[in-house]
Amino acid sequence: MSSDLGKISDALTKGNVDELKEVVQQALDNDAVPADLLNKGLLPGMEAVGQKWKNGEMFMPEVLRCAKAMSGAMDILRPRLAKEDLGSAGKMVIGTVSGDLHDIGKDLAAMMFEGAGYEVVNIGIDQPNEKFVEAAKEHKPTLLGMSALLTTTMPRMGEVINSLKEAGIRDQMAVIIGGAPVTQEFAEEIGADIYAPNAGSAVDLAREYFESKA
Amino acid sequence: MSVRTNYTVYESPRLQILSEDQKEKILNGMMRTLQYTGAHVHHEKARELFKKAGCKVDGVTVYFPPEVILKALSTVPPVTEVFPWDGNKEKKVVVEKNRSYFGPGPTPPNFIDTDTMERRKYLRKDANIVARVCDALPNIGFVQSLGSISDVTNDLADVYEFADMVRNTTTPIMSWSFTREGCRDIHRIAIAMAGGEEEFRQRPNYIFYGEPISPLVSDFHAIDKCMYCAENRIPQVYSPCAIGGGTVPATHAGQLVVALSESMVGVIAAQLINPGTCVIIGGVQSILDMRYSIYSYGAPELSLLSSALTEVVQYCGLPMYSQSGCTDTKKMDMQSALEASLSINAAMMSGANFVHDNGYTESGLTGDVFQTVMDDELISMARVIERSFDVNKETLSVDVIDSVGPGGHYLYEDHTMKWFRTYWMPTLMDRNSYEGWVEEGRKTMKDRIIEKTRDLIDNYEGPRGKVPAQADKEIERILQEAEKRAKESESK
Repeated sequence: MSSDLGKISDALTKGNVDELKEVVQQALDNDAVPADLLNKGLLPGMEAVGQKWKNGEMFMPEVLRCAKAMSGAMDILRPRLAKEDLGSAGKMVIGTVSGDLHDIGKDLAAMMFEGAGYEVVNIGIDQPNEKFVEAAKEHKPTLLGMSALLTTTMPRMGEVINSLKEAGIRDQMAVIIGGAPVTQEFAEEIGADIYAPNAGSAVDLAREYFESKA
Repeated sequence: MSVRTNYTVYESPRLQILSEDQKEKILNGMMRTLQYTGAHVHHEKARELFKKAGCKVDGVTVYFPPEVILKALSTVPPVTEVFPWDGNKEKKVVVEKNRSYFGPGPTPPNFIDTDTMERRKYLRKDANIVARVCDALPNIGFVQSLGSISDVTNDLADVYEFADMVRNTTTPIMSWSFTREGCRDIHRIAIAMAGGEEEFRQRPNYIFYGEPISPLVSDFHAIDKCMYCAENRIPQVYSPCAIGGGTVPATHAGQLVVALSESMVGVIAAQLINPGTCVIIGGVQSILDMRYSIYSYGAPELSLLSSALTEVVQYCGLPMYSQSGCTDTKKMDMQSALEASLSINAAMMSGANFVHDNGYTESGLTGDVFQTVMDDELISMARVIERSFDVNKETLSVDVIDSVGPGGHYLYEDHTMKWFRTYWMPTLMDRNSYEGWVEEGRKTMKDRIIEKTRDLIDNYEGPRGKVPAQADKEIERILQEAEKRAKESESK
């Protein structure tokens, strides 16, 4: 068991996507406890990656590879986990608002959340307001993320929040927003819960937010 | 008299990064990318245009065969002129190889307040300040606003910006807009300033700036505006912000291939619509900082990539839109000066045509006109190196050297009288004695930049009083109509 965890952590921190899937599958085949693989293998691995990033020992592309590996492992693991095993990491719906075709920032954030164990539904770029509401109704996320790179499309974020209110589901999720022109001030203006200045800090800010609400 | 054989005059020294073979390889990389990978064009009419010209179209993806690209390159103009609206020949912009103009950049959301020196949202009054300050700066050759106005009707920030700026500077403006409607309003304003449609055709007085999305995406509005400019023969920029390691490969050669391909879509569209219309390409070329995930405006790679792309763009026979004088720092400090001086010098030595972003801070998120004022001085210093010097009988000065001889001095020689004024003279740099410096208030560079900037803001009137009454009236009418349109579309 502990050798499985070592292999998992090793493949994860090296960002070896296929190898990680294999070792997780092998561990499951050897009757490992799924919750242990998550809590003692994957999550501490991502924690170490995050720490190395903060210390300047690892960089964005490496961290994203690790997050991608984590996400692949979670696809295998998630069906075998009980709801309570997933802990605070919940479900996220994320997209770029209508009129905006920029996807790199949004994809970075999505990947970082997947790396933190979230189940992420990425609805893509140029998404009309109602698509966000539909996705929120369908997937019942704990977190709804919106991104915009253009000052002209930023107002759509506020409109989506209003639509969520009209649909009576605004209170069921936290709203996190980001994108180069977006500011803390703007986030407060439109009533978003969390503003992330970059994809890297988004997960931590979301965690802090949920902890403050708990 | 001796006969000089094989006498070559190098007018300017140049920063040369690529060999001919390397330029060709990058150009071929672009050809391969556009032919086999293709680019997304989210505009049905544009796709039809490309299809008719011989491109393969599959959904939103357009594949451009080399013959279509080469044909477009065969009709780009070797030279285009842009005229200040008051007819001032000194400020005329000539778009041709190796002629460089420096200016600010477009659309950051924030601005450094010129009174409080704090960062805040960009306001309408800032466009007026930037226009007047740039009008007064001798080394700023074209003007952009350094912001996106936040305190006018939504979606009209572009039109108000141009309407205000064009009346406060005669230095040619590089405008931008959200959509074709904004383009049209801006164009009508430019026509009013030119004194009529035919006058504008003869003497275009502004350049339009548009931007595809990296990697390889032309969104509807980007290509729609490009087509509008081509239809009306408005000189235009069509260039991406390529983010090394993010939207383009992490290798510099790969970055140039993608960036060039993105711009070429606009070149082809414009040349198909109106052969001979001026398209300037290039764009912001820098890297993603892999620690903080910001697009670095102070990275040395920005200068390397931009200089190399300038060579490739020139190799294609096109004018280059480059950048310099920008920084990742948040406040005017040593970092902003260091980063700006490196990039300004590199851009100057590269021979790029339009070098923008002089005045960008916080990695392109905040406009700072104080930075522009500082950059103006750095540009004039770099220009000294770029201009180089002549080596001939007069400048070799052997006769004067002989007449002064060993010992003595040259201070009051006729030869010195004739030449010493060609020395560069600082307007901001301190060369005072210690005592003189103390007497003048122990001012630092920062103090002097602030003083000069505020003096211009308070005392330099600019050309506002020279705007013809007719044009003024027309511009107000265009603004009123735009407001009416905005209200109508809101009520829908």
